[in-house]
Order: sequence, then C-alpha cells, then structure tokens
Amino acid sequence: MSDSVLEQFRPLFEPKTVAVVGASAKGGALPNVFIRRIREFGFEGEIYPIHPSAPEIDGLPAYRSLGETPKPVDYAYIAIAAAQVPPLLREARGRVRFAQVISSGFGEVDEGRELQEALVAAARAGGMRLIGPNCLGIYTPRGRVTFTEIGPREVGQVGIISQSGGLGTDIIRRGFSRGLKFSGLITVGNCADVGPNELLEYYLADEQTRVIGLYIETAKDGRRLFEILRDARAAKPVVILKGGRTQRGRMAAASHTGSLAGDDRVWVALSRQTGCAMADTLDQFIDILLAFQALAPQPRHPTRRVVLFGNGGGASVLATDFYARLGLDVIPFGAETVGALGALKLPPGTSITNPVDTPVGTLQQDDGRVAEKILEAIYASGRPEALVMHLNLSAFAGRTKSEVIDNLVQVALRVQSHYPGQAHFVLVLRSDGEPQLEERKREFRAKAVALGIPVYDEMANAGHALAALASHERFVHSRQPRDR
Amino acid sequence: MSGSEAIAEARKQGRAALDEAAGKRLLESFGIPVPRSVMVSDAARATGALAGIRPPYAVKVVSPDILHKSDAGGVRLGVRDREEAALTIGEMAQLPGVRQARVDGYLVEEMAPAGQEIVVGGLRDPQFGPLVMVGLGGIFVEVLADVAFRICPITRVDAEEMLSELKGAALLDGARGRKAVSRSAILEVLLKVGGDGGLLMVHAQDIEELDINPLIVSESGAVAVDARLILTQPPMDADGRR
Repeated sequence: MSDSVLEQFRPLFEPKTVAVVGASAKGGALPNVFIRRIREFGFEGEIYPIHPSAPEIDGLPAYRSLGETPKPVDYAYIAIAAAQVPPLLREARGRVRFAQVISSGFGEVDEGRELQEALVAAARAGGMRLIGPNCLGIYTPRGRVTFTEIGPREVGQVGIISQSGGLGTDIIRRGFSRGLKFSGLITVGNCADVGPNELLEYYLADEQTRVIGLYIETAKDGRRLFEILRDARAAKPVVILKGGRTQRGRMAAASHTGSLAGDDRVWVALSRQTGCAMADTLDQFIDILLAFQALAPQPRHPTRRVVLFGNGGGASVLATDFYARLGLDVIPFGAETVGALGALKLPPGTSITNPVDTPVGTLQQDDGRVAEKILEAIYASGRPEALVMHLNLSAFAGRTKSEVIDNLVQVALRVQSHYPGQAHFVLVLRSDGEPQLEERKREFRAKAVALGIPVYDEMANAGHALAALASHERFVHSRQPRDR
Repeated sequence: MSGSEAIAEARKQGRAALDEAAGKRLLESFGIPVPRSVMVSDAARATGALAGIRPPYAVKVVSPDILHKSDAGGVRLGVRDREEAALTIGEMAQLPGVRQARVDGYLVEEMAPAGQEIVVGGLRDPQFGPLVMVGLGGIFVEVLADVAFRICPITRVDAEEMLSELKGAALLDGARGRKAVSRSAILEVLLKVGGDGGLLMVHAQDIEELDINPLIVSESGAVAVDARLILTQPPMDADGRR
C-alpha cells in the first residue's frame, strides 16, 4: 500500500518532465514566471511549453498539445481560461501523470460547477490525475519545482497540504523566516480529483517527511481522513489548521445531541482520537510545526514540568500563569536544586526558584558563561521536561557586548547535550520592535534555527507549541499496547 | 420483534422515529440495560398485564404523534402499584394532547434505582459518519453544553477520555457527599452505543440522531430510562447514499 502511494505520487514531487500551459510568446504571463522560477530553483528535467501557435517560448521549443511532447509529462502546470482546460486535458492521450490546474472559475463559483464536472471527466479521459483547480501550484524542493518566489532549496521534513493557495504562500514565506524546512507543500484548491486524504497518505509513507501540516476548509470525506489518521497511530505528528470551524448546532436537530453538535466538536474529537494537533491561527500552526520539526516527542515522559529561565520577572510570572492554563507546570524547585543554585552566589535580584529570573546584570557575568553553571544545576536535579530560555533583547541593548547573547545560547546547547532526551529546549527572543533590535533578533534567530532550536517571539507562543507537543506525547503514551 | 425489525417496521409505516418501546428493544438487543417493562393497550388490561413486573412503576404514553411526552402529560413516575397504574392509564387517555393522538399503547416500566443522570447520544455527521456523545444530565447538558463527542467506533481509552473531558466529571466520583457511581457501567454503554460493532456503527445508515436521556447510573449499574431514535430521511443505501 505505502509503496504504491509513494510510486503513484513520485512524478508529482520529483517530476522529470514538466509541461507548462498558458505561457505567452511575449512573456509576462504567470506560466512564464513559473518557467523562470523553476529554472532558477534548479530544475534539471525537461520543460515543455504548450502553445497553439508559437514555435518557441522563453527559449524552449513549444508543442501544440499535451499529447505531442517528446517524452510523457510527469507534471503539467496549467493556467489558461477555465473553459479551455477540459479540451486541453482530453488531448493528453494518457501521456500526462499529474495536471495541476491553477485556473479558477470552476466549482468554487455556482456557474462553474458543470465546468468542474467536465474537467474531471476530461482528466479521466486524458488518463491523468488532477490537482486543483483554483490553486497556486506545488513547492517541492526535492523535485526543484516551485510556484513561489521565495522558497528554500534545502529539502526539509515538513510536508504541507493547503486548500488555499494564498495561505500556502504565507506558510512557505513565514515558515521559512521562522526556520521551517519543507519536504513539500502542495496547494489543492477545489480538490476535484486528488484531495488532502491521498496526499496525507503520501506524506505518511514518505520517508523524507517527519511532520505533516494540513490547512483544510472542507473535509469532503471526513470519515476517510479519520481512518487514515487513526490507522497512522500518530507515527508522525500531524497539525491541522481548520478554516470554517463554527459553533453552530445542526439546523434542524430533533434531539439534544443534534443541537449540541457544532462543526467544531468533530474536529476536537478527531484530534483527541488520533493525536493530531489543532491550530487556531496561521501563527499557531507555524509555531506548532516548528516545535515538532525541532523536538523529538518523548512519549515515555510526556512534557509537563517546564523551567523558565531568563530576564524579565513579570513576563515569567505571566507565562507561569498562562502555562498552567495549558496544562504545563512551572513549579518551584526542590531543596536540592535551590541549594545548588544558591551555592553559585548569584547577584541580588536573581530569583533561584522556578521561574529562574536572572536580570541582565546576572546574565552578563563572565560574558554569559554564568548560564552554564545555572543550567547544570537545573538539569542535574530539577528534572525539567522542557526548558524555555527567554531573553528580552531590549534589556540587553546598550549594556552588553553582543557576544553575550551568543554565549548564552551556546552554553545552553552545551548543557542540553549533556542530558540527551531529558528536556525540550526552546528559545524565546523578546523585543520591542525597535528596528536595530529587530535586526539583531533576526540574526540570533537565524543562528539558533541553524542549530535546530525552535525560536518564538513570546512565551505564550512557545507555550502553545509545547502544549501541542505534550498533547501528542500523552496521546502516544496513552495508546501503548493495552488499547488493542 | 428485534431491533432491526423495529427499524424496518417504522420505515414501512413511514415514521421518522422509533417509538420509545421499539427504541429500547433496539438498545436491549445491543446489551444496553433498559428497565423491565410491559406494553399495555388500555387501562382495563393493566392489572393483569403487570403481574410480572415490580412496582413502583413509570407509566408513559407511546404515540408517533407525541414527541415531547412530558409536555403532553404523558409521563407519570412513582406509580405505587398495579391498581394505580390502571388508574393512571385511564387518566392519561383522557388528556387532550393524548386523546387527539394515535396511541399505540402505554409503556409501564419498573422504576430505575436513583442515581446520576447521564445523557448518551449519537448522530450521523454528513462528513464523518456516526458520532457518539456523552454528558451529565440536566443543566450540564441543557445549559452548560458540557458534553464530549467522538467519532465512531470508539475504543475503551476513547470512552474513558470522554468522561474525563467533562467539566462535571467529579460528580461521577461522588462530589458533594454523594456516592460515586459506576464509571465502568457508563463505559460499557458508550462502547455498546459507539464502539466497534455497536449500535451506531451497525445501524449507521438508519440512525440520524439518538438520545438516551437519561441513562441513570448507580453505584453498580446503568439503565437507559428514556430513548429517542430519529431515522435518516430518506433511507440510505448500503454506501450511505440517498
């Protein structure tokens, strides 16, 4: 089964031949841009522009129809007027594996419903699988194909399926700047043929993909989605961003049960039964994906005890309260840890229980290396399951050498490596929006991201991500053998 | 008549729902405890018919035209003996809401022992198929919407988590000086309703909505005291199509 799904979708994610329909001889159309982008992205296969009359497009020989290309087409990118698409697909004569129809004007509008049916019939007659219509394309670094301007070349481990094209672009751009690296991102639009379920099965089977994210507006076959996720037994973390979750009860409910069943209830049920995480916002979606990308779930001891360490007393008190609501405990250390920290004789104003509040004056001791002793004491006896190191950059500004923050992060990583698998380490870099500070924050974030550390803007964001991770760990923990 | 036959019979008569007696037979055929009961056609036959069941009784009118039995005066609880049952049926038959309705008979049941009221429900979601629900009875369901849903079929772990998810879950463990009730009895009912091979899975094509309200749970067991079962309209074929 999984072999065949991999085989089936390989031409989509690693096409050797790409046909482009809708590029103009004069250039400037969206498909011309697509040709330029995949060349820049390093696509090494053959590109076949399809055009009714032009002999050449963007320096490439053009062909009259999808059935006339020199080699069969793995992936066709199609952006022409909606009505012209079905006849085009019919001419493929079984020589196209996947056609992604960017064009809109199909089932997403009332007057396009029939045309969408014609499109599906044409794809079937032409012998291909259809992606879309009404989408933006695919970003697949392993295949060197992309529809976006910005997209890292590096092949990552996060696989995304998005029912919205625009949101797909946002996920790549924002995710990239936050350190997400994708194994693929595909926009599926109206899902006239291939839908999220099949692609989910692909990502579950795909070895390159370790974490999966879905943006779903309508689950056409929710039952199948449930079965796939249930049978996967949370082998890979799945994060779902659901558009159109509502609290409305069923319209004509005749029972209590019916009146209580909002759409939202099903998605909560789905997440509880399959261990997938539900995100409420795009930022939360990215925050959670980032945690799963960087941190290996520890189902044997699900995350609960969190240590907060950094500068900002009030911020850590607020975070303690917020984390408690998320089911994460920031609880004071026992006597052993307090004793070990007390022996360090840190300057007055330092709080050595959990949260560990260390003002800048403390953190800059020994150019930041003081943190090594603090963290050693915490890890040795405090037994945290997650450590959130938070640095308020505003408080450092103008007071410390720039290497101090570098050193703090380096030291934290070194201590972390002495206690493998003990605690998830995340970094919160807080700032006030001042441009110079933002620039430094970006640099630190890039460095941290390169080292595989998830970085968040605020403790609340880190909290949501850790809570999702904890929930996944608890799910796997609770579904150990006795459930079957 | 078995549960499936009851569904077929209701379909044949063009009914949108199973009456209480048929609904309970269906529950019983899945091993869900229901009160011992007798259907009585009229007051004159009551004393003889009730010889096999123990008072106190609950007496309820059974009619396809009466959806809300209590509102129509069609429910009487704590009926002390057979004679009072006969009297009650006679009075009920004279109520305006009952006189105008098609009456199939009167369901006389043994009263369930006191306990915590629970609601167990089910419905068919157009995308996800059958869902099962549990909540604590009374204001917890009606005002606070303190309920948990799951997609069928559920496992025992799912069922346990459903109960833990309820904000009022502490009531099950004997809060406010009351005795703890049997969680395992609730779990059994949830699995028989929403588990693999349970009512909602087996009759997925036929059940649009289900309310077991209340399920009365004591220290030792659970009894489905009322059941309402709405059928899918129009009937669906085996693939879930209409």
